[in-house]
Amino acid sequence: MGYIRDVVGARELLANLTIREIKGKYRRTVFGQLWSLVNPLVLMLIYTFVFAFIFRVTPPPGDPSGLDVFPLWLLCGLLPWIFFSNVLSIGTGSIVDNAPLIQKVYFPRLVLPLSVVASGFYTWIFEMAVLAIALSVAGAFVLPWLPLVLVAMVLMALFTAGVALLMSIANVHFRDTQHLLTLLLQLWMYLSPIIYPLTMVRDLSDRIGPVLGTPITLEGIYWANPMVPFTEVFRSLLYDADWPDPMAFGMCAAWAVVAIALGMLAFRRADRNLAEAL
Amino acid sequence: MPAAVVVDRVSKRFRLYHERNQTLKSAIMRRRRSRHEDFWALRDISFEVPQGSTFALIGSNGSGKSTLLKCLAKIYAPTEGRISYSGRMAAMLEVGSGFHSELSGRENIFLNGSILGMSRKEITAKYDEIVAFSGVEQFIDQPVKNYSSGMYVRLGFSIAIHVMPDILVVDEVLAVGDAEFQAQCVDKFQELHRDGRTVIVVSHSMDMISKLCDRAAWIEKGDLRTVGAVGDVIADYQGSLGLGDR
Repeated sequence: MGYIRDVVGARELLANLTIREIKGKYRRTVFGQLWSLVNPLVLMLIYTFVFAFIFRVTPPPGDPSGLDVFPLWLLCGLLPWIFFSNVLSIGTGSIVDNAPLIQKVYFPRLVLPLSVVASGFYTWIFEMAVLAIALSVAGAFVLPWLPLVLVAMVLMALFTAGVALLMSIANVHFRDTQHLLTLLLQLWMYLSPIIYPLTMVRDLSDRIGPVLGTPITLEGIYWANPMVPFTEVFRSLLYDADWPDPMAFGMCAAWAVVAIALGMLAFRRADRNLAEAL
Repeated sequence: MPAAVVVDRVSKRFRLYHERNQTLKSAIMRRRRSRHEDFWALRDISFEVPQGSTFALIGSNGSGKSTLLKCLAKIYAPTEGRISYSGRMAAMLEVGSGFHSELSGRENIFLNGSILGMSRKEITAKYDEIVAFSGVEQFIDQPVKNYSSGMYVRLGFSIAIHVMPDILVVDEVLAVGDAEFQAQCVDKFQELHRDGRTVIVVSHSMDMISKLCDRAAWIEKGDLRTVGAVGDVIADYQGSLGLGDR
């Protein structure tokens, strides 16, 4: 309990470190915060060109929104993913990168990875706001769904925070983690329905039927990936402008709780000896 | 007098690594994470620091006093024993750690202050004092990467000294800055002392210690030798080195 109190007491520090993260990032750049929008836009152009024009991926139109615009459909899944992968890439190194500070001053170390999550979240909100405006202009009535989108974003942030905490600790003991993560993230993205619709996996799964005579289907295995429910929830809320599948929403919440609990536990165990392990 | 800090049978073990496999490949190839032997940097240290005292830790290089200081600063967790505090503790083991070089002096005051445990309100209240003490008013809106090393240290020290903790833990930071700034620092320490705050310092400068401190502990090879009034402890220590003036 003392640990939790320590962390709560450090919320101002968390805020200040987050500001440091945000302000330091775009200092001395001409476009400043606009850079955070450029990244997803460029990725959107590339993926749209490759997957919509060359591979001819055709996601089902939004129901009931009636949208049928590939770049918007893509962004509904891509923005959460970019948040997740960016935070994880920076958050994993957050303890090792701040070694000089950890060895000189005492403060709850938890705030280091958490400030990365918070600053990533700040950028993400910005991006999602632009996306919501674009969706509205395109004719989807997303406004009433925005509160629920925010809830889903918080769940996603908790999930991300949990994974980032685990990774940052792992990286202290094995510096490979950072490099391994780059590969893992690439694999993970292609295993998630971000640049192709879930319906394509479902079709494939139906064609194959049960795997090796068991009642497990390919789609069932596919759903074990936490990014699947998250992506589906964001797509339903934003692109379809409809209620998300309650089952998927429940899975998001469960993943968030499990990840943050595991992350906190692991971090608490490692916290005491961080200064020496570095 | 009540004790501000109680050090109760504290021991600290380090591992001296002969081999340390911090990459997966080497850990798998060598089939182990590490090969090490134990080294006890501190053994069974117990003492109390009375409230309102200025307490010095002395000893030769490698005696374990910095390890003890890091334990006191909560940076290391003792392997055995415990340290209890009455009141808020702040540690200053290196000035200016945690400065972000692209941010201005002003922004860094708020950032560094909160790392050291001050609330935003406290920093705002002390802001002018911190700037005045550091003597870098003119450059406060410049990024700290443009500061000279002297200015950098002065700003860092000024923030740390204004945290106003009940217990302040300080490493060899007194040896920074020019003579004028050092005199300023000595004044500040005496002011802390008058306010009844507890200060724990590590220093090699016996002059400084006998001027500032009233109590001391002498640590040698991880063991506590003597603890008591500063004059006696310094005499014991210097006696052991063969340069005592008794």
